[in-house]
Amino acid sequence: MRAQAVLLRAAALLLLVAFVARPQLFAFAFEPLTANNASAIYDQGSLLALTLSHLRTVFLATLASSVLAVTLGVFVTRPFGQEFLPLSRSLVNIGQTFPPVAVLAIAVPLVGFGEKPTFIALFLYGLLPIFENTLTGLADVEPQTLEAAKGMGMNARQRLIQVELPLALPVILAGIRLSVIISLGTATIGSTVAAKGLGEVIIAGLQSNNVAFILQGGLVVALLAVLIHGGLAAVERAVARRLGRPAGAATSQPS
Amino acid sequence: MNTISSRTTASGMTSLRSIPSLDRLGSVLALLIGVALLAAPFITYRANRIVAGEGRMLADALPSKPAVAVIAVVLAIAFCAAFVRKPLVRLGAAALGLAAILPAAGWSASFVTPDGNAFARVSPSTGFWLLALAFALLAADALARLRLGPWARLLALAVAAGAVALLLASGAWDDLSLLKEYANRADSFWREARRHLWLALGSMAAACLVGLPLGILGHRIRAMRIAVLQGLTIVQTIPSIALFGILIAPLGFLAAQVPLAAALGIHGIGAAPAFIALFLYSLLPVVANTVTGLDQVPAAVIDAARGMGLSRRQRLVQVELPLAFPVILAGIRIALVQNLGLATIAALIGGGGFGTFVFQGIGQTAIDLVLLGAIPTVALSFAAAIVLDAIIDLTQRGAHDRH
Amino acid sequence: MIDIEHLTKRYGATTVVDDVSFRVEEGTVAVVVGTSGAGKSTLLRMINRLVEPSAGRVLIDGKDTMTIPEDELRHRIGYVIQGYGLFPHRTVAQNIATVPRLLGWDRRRIAARVEELLDLFQLDAAEFATKFPHQLSGGQQQRVGVARALAAKPAVLLMDEPFGALDPVIRGKAQDDLRAIQKRLGTTIMLVTHDMNEAFHLGDRIAVMDRARLLQYASPADILTHPAEAFVEELVGTTERPFRLLSLTTVQDALEPGSAEGQPVPLSASLRDALSQLIWLGRQALPVTDSSGAPVGRISVDRILRHGRADP
Repeated sequence: MRAQAVLLRAAALLLLVAFVARPQLFAFAFEPLTANNASAIYDQGSLLALTLSHLRTVFLATLASSVLAVTLGVFVTRPFGQEFLPLSRSLVNIGQTFPPVAVLAIAVPLVGFGEKPTFIALFLYGLLPIFENTLTGLADVEPQTLEAAKGMGMNARQRLIQVELPLALPVILAGIRLSVIISLGTATIGSTVAAKGLGEVIIAGLQSNNVAFILQGGLVVALLAVLIHGGLAAVERAVARRLGRPAGAATSQPS
Repeated sequence: MNTISSRTTASGMTSLRSIPSLDRLGSVLALLIGVALLAAPFITYRANRIVAGEGRMLADALPSKPAVAVIAVVLAIAFCAAFVRKPLVRLGAAALGLAAILPAAGWSASFVTPDGNAFARVSPSTGFWLLALAFALLAADALARLRLGPWARLLALAVAAGAVALLLASGAWDDLSLLKEYANRADSFWREARRHLWLALGSMAAACLVGLPLGILGHRIRAMRIAVLQGLTIVQTIPSIALFGILIAPLGFLAAQVPLAAALGIHGIGAAPAFIALFLYSLLPVVANTVTGLDQVPAAVIDAARGMGLSRRQRLVQVELPLAFPVILAGIRIALVQNLGLATIAALIGGGGFGTFVFQGIGQTAIDLVLLGAIPTVALSFAAAIVLDAIIDLTQRGAHDRH
Repeated sequence: MIDIEHLTKRYGATTVVDDVSFRVEEGTVAVVVGTSGAGKSTLLRMINRLVEPSAGRVLIDGKDTMTIPEDELRHRIGYVIQGYGLFPHRTVAQNIATVPRLLGWDRRRIAARVEELLDLFQLDAAEFATKFPHQLSGGQQQRVGVARALAAKPAVLLMDEPFGALDPVIRGKAQDDLRAIQKRLGTTIMLVTHDMNEAFHLGDRIAVMDRARLLQYASPADILTHPAEAFVEELVGTTERPFRLLSLTTVQDALEPGSAEGQPVPLSASLRDALSQLIWLGRQALPVTDSSGAPVGRISVDRILRHGRADP
């Protein structure tokens, strides 16, 4: 079962790399979907460049949200930040009812078209799952473990760095995974505001009524999402296994 | 010796506590209010829809007396946020603040717009949004500390909705750019609203119809559970715009090959692929939570039911489903909130909904048009979340006394 | 040596520890017993200042604990809690090395100490050092917990229900092991439990607490024969008294000259065990042998019963 899944992933990765690098090789598969001699493979830009720029936006935004969200999560769970905890919790709940499109749309008039609004939307929306999971992860650390750490004379910083954060890590990682998957999708919508990314291919297809383009863009994004999801989930499992716990089975959310 | 000294410190502490102390969160909010009031324009005035605007501070946005009154109220609330810790008082202050600045924004629009000028546009600006944010945060913090019960939360939602409806009906906001955009599109606004709701609710209802039986089967047959949940998880990882797009192909093919399908309104482009995509997305939360909910029913309860001679069907209907109900509802909540947001994407493939205004607005860089689509979407998701959370709380009380 | 002087803890109007004073002598085990909510754990936690006292003070080897920075104080005091609180993300060796690492010992010294402790607690270093806590049995976790607390050779070891999570069979063995290690290392231990058997099994001194107050602090035999209050008598259990008393005394103390037929009893056995054997074999007396197996005398039912009386 496991070997099969790994094999399937490897095949998907191979397919993705081959398609992005040499899309023309796959033209035969998309030709039946085109009409009026339209081109079967996206030809208004390099698929590879679009994929890389898509990944770059997602990576940078997730990195930024991870740093801020974990910092905030640590802050509100320390004694001096406790007053902010109830509000932070309800903000996370409220924030998640905001559709990512709305965040993106509101960012455009503020910062203009291009990568910026997409980055802002990805960054803001990506904060929520990571922040929430940081809170959960830190709250789930056994009080006994903390008591023992305190009893052995670890100071607050040592407890945080040597005990709390390592123990919360699998849950925080699950939040980051969720955030990455949401961002991959939202970045696609980012192309409606002229961010360079795989959404361009899909939107070009929608505009010219070319199903082949839509399918290409969609397939590449979906493959990326499935692969990244699988990869990050494997990392979580590896970390969680060391702690003797099953990985947090958080489900993702489309965007 | 020791005892005496520690007693004095203890009494010293109590006397210290009676002096109003600074609330950290409140001081941050007070600071935010200060910045919004002193350093940011309250509204933006534009000669027409396209040109760049000029900001007006609150003092210049209203006739002098009301301006002073609003500023005084806002400052009093900042003070209250920083020093008063009672959640009810803070909630009242936040409500008062919103009740002051919301009509003030509408009033200032009428005040700033030259008489008879139909092209001028006035929109709330940074100062307004920051104030609204600060008051909303103050209210959210107070509500979180009050730990209201489900009925009280529903009541609060109804009061807020009623207040907004009253403001809209009174015409106090009619001179704001947002409502001018609305006035220009009143017909299409309600058409897209109906479409949006139909897409979100209809696809969710379909997901419940299919998802519940799937979940029950998945609970009983392990192999099926794994296959179904894994398949649906993969569907969830496909970005919406791609799934919407991909569905165009088979539906287009269907419409071309089967005349009946076309006659039923199934086309490649339009609402059908959006509906199906939303349906597919909402399946996972419904199925997964049905399985989890049924799995969580204590084995002892099922054993007792079996011992009393309930048939498999009776056990399911009378015992298992009622006990799993709160968890299933939680899945429906996730699906609904998610659908209300995702339905905006439908506009990209001609499916309609509030997304129509969002994407039109993005295309024209008209923020008010974007907001005309985004605000109802956010409000709907928010309201749906509050209502369903309250219902979940209510059903949970019935199902488990331990909660 | 621990000196507790007028230690008091109040939370608002409720007093959870009320003016408690006693001394735990160097190299002895003091067990604090009492019902739940009696204030035992709070008393213990005031010693390493996990709870700050409202009044009174604690001296360790004559030094007021308030004069030592909190974390530094805790580095010097071993602490074992129920459930042990082992770090799930660290191996057995890393867990044991926690305090030495905080103290900045060099790597070689830490490795040597870890190995020494694993050996002392009968855990094969090659097998256990790299295991994670969740891979250990309950008994092994308990031993690692105690080993970790002893790692930096603390002056004092505090234990809060250290055997509470073990099943009865392993618990007895773990208590014997602790007693043996304590004798060997000469550690001063203060242990909190609600289990009377544990108190009599381990304690050189027993402190009985009820509703925040210390009712009696005395040797196990004194607690049995001269309970200070009715509550102490009740807690000890009137029906159990003679048997507890017998288990505190060894055959050596009731040895009589002469010989008897049957399976010999070792000199170091408790009178309770000897009586048990006498009853089982249906005899009035049995021979006694010393550790080398040489006969040294005999033990009789009469003599044993005399030791189980309130006023011998």
